[in-house]
Amino acid sequence: MADTTNSELLQVRLVTPDSILVDATASAVELPAREGYLEALYGAAPLLAELGAGEVRLHGGTAGEQTFFVAWGFVEVLPERVTILAETALHPNEIDVNAAQAELKHGQEMWDKAGDDAEKYDSADAVIRVAEEKISSAQGKH
Amino acid sequence: MANVLDLRRRIRSVKNTRQITRAMKMVSAAKLRRAQDRAMKARPYALMLTNVLESLVRRTDLIDESGETLHPLLVEREEKNVLVLVIAGDKGFAGGFNSNISKAAQKFIDERRAKGQNLDMEPIGKKAIGFYKKKYPAAFYEHTDKAYDNDLAHHIEDIRQRKAPVEVAAEHADILLKGDFERISELANSIIARYERAEIDSVYIVFNEFKSVISQRVVVEKLLPIRKLGEHEITASEEMSEEQREAAARAAQTAGVSLYEPEETEVEREAKKFGTAEVDYLFDAPPSKLFRHLMPRYVATQIFHAVLESTAAEHAARMTATDAATKNAGELIDKLSLTMNRLRQAAITKEIIEIVSGAAAL
Repeated sequence: MADTTNSELLQVRLVTPDSILVDATASAVELPAREGYLEALYGAAPLLAELGAGEVRLHGGTAGEQTFFVAWGFVEVLPERVTILAETALHPNEIDVNAAQAELKHGQEMWDKAGDDAEKYDSADAVIRVAEEKISSAQGKH
Repeated sequence: MANVLDLRRRIRSVKNTRQITRAMKMVSAAKLRRAQDRAMKARPYALMLTNVLESLVRRTDLIDESGETLHPLLVEREEKNVLVLVIAGDKGFAGGFNSNISKAAQKFIDERRAKGQNLDMEPIGKKAIGFYKKKYPAAFYEHTDKAYDNDLAHHIEDIRQRKAPVEVAAEHADILLKGDFERISELANSIIARYERAEIDSVYIVFNEFKSVISQRVVVEKLLPIRKLGEHEITASEEMSEEQREAAARAAQTAGVSLYEPEETEVEREAKKFGTAEVDYLFDAPPSKLFRHLMPRYVATQIFHAVLESTAAEHAARMTATDAATKNAGELIDKLSLTMNRLRQAAITKEIIEIVSGAAAL
């Protein structure tokens, strides 16, 4: 575990289209990038990355232990700052599992009806992935 | 001529009306404050998204070696089929709010029709839906499902069959009520899909822009194709008249709503710097790929912004209208009270004269 004196905390902001959910400091932030999870610590190299469906987890600092489910987002990592743009961000206990199940079913229907259109498969796949991540996040399986 | 009793009833009724309009004004003012607050909170996200896109644009070429444009939404075509999003309110009693918007939209429709262009209307809000549904036919899509490879694969497509020069492409009644980003994202994706398959060649949005109570206008904004990121391309606008501005300012002052734009917050100032630090970022994916994923979100934020501003403007318009109604009711009560008092005094005077002259006759 890294030494977390005040000078070595990341300033973390989580911004959604309708509000600023988090504006705090943390010692580490886990991010669900498209190609897999990455963790940002103080002094990290500047990075711009796209976030897929998954959980953003904050550790230490004034943020404490916090977890948010995000469906799509974008993150800027600077040595002393992490800013996350998320299209939707929810606390795991805010997730409506029944609604997520319905979304999953809808996604599977989209998949069945996609015919020979590659783009339709892509969008069906995206819906299914988000729904699956949502369900597992709500059930605390991560 | 009306008697005292009639007048007293009339006054009581007008007083009741005044109480209702006054309450409506306070409700609208509270809703306006909330709407303004929401619009403020939405700004950092929009700023950041625009910034990321801009910094990506600086790092990649918009047109690659093969001459292909980086994103279909940047492609400009001759405008033959134009999509118009019209944002009005869900309810009436908001002064000229709804009619101003439909007037601006009608002007746009007439101009474009004169150029021989076809239009697709897409109303948002119950008032606009009611108006355009009556006026224009709904767009028709032919559903095709072709099986091939011995029924192993299907090609499914909905093909647009245009029957009239102006048609209603879709309607959105629930967007204003909830105003959630998810619904607007869906709308943006459907518009983008239509743009990409060249069903439409440009997209405009007609709405009431709202900076503050005294600074608003009805605008026609070009949404697609995107010419310059982060800039609002306004093609027509209708400013408030001096009279409207005064009425709005009076209503706002008595309801305790600020007349000025809220100040920039610290988060907003920092949002402006998002993705623009003077460092070499590592990208986890090629910028062109990121760009593709960001563009639809950018369009959605633009529409979201318009919806939020329009909602604030609607509440402001209702606040102004109900304030004027309250004021008129007050004036009417004064006038009626004066007439009633005169009548009563006249009756008293008449009675005294009768008594006095009766006494004199004895």
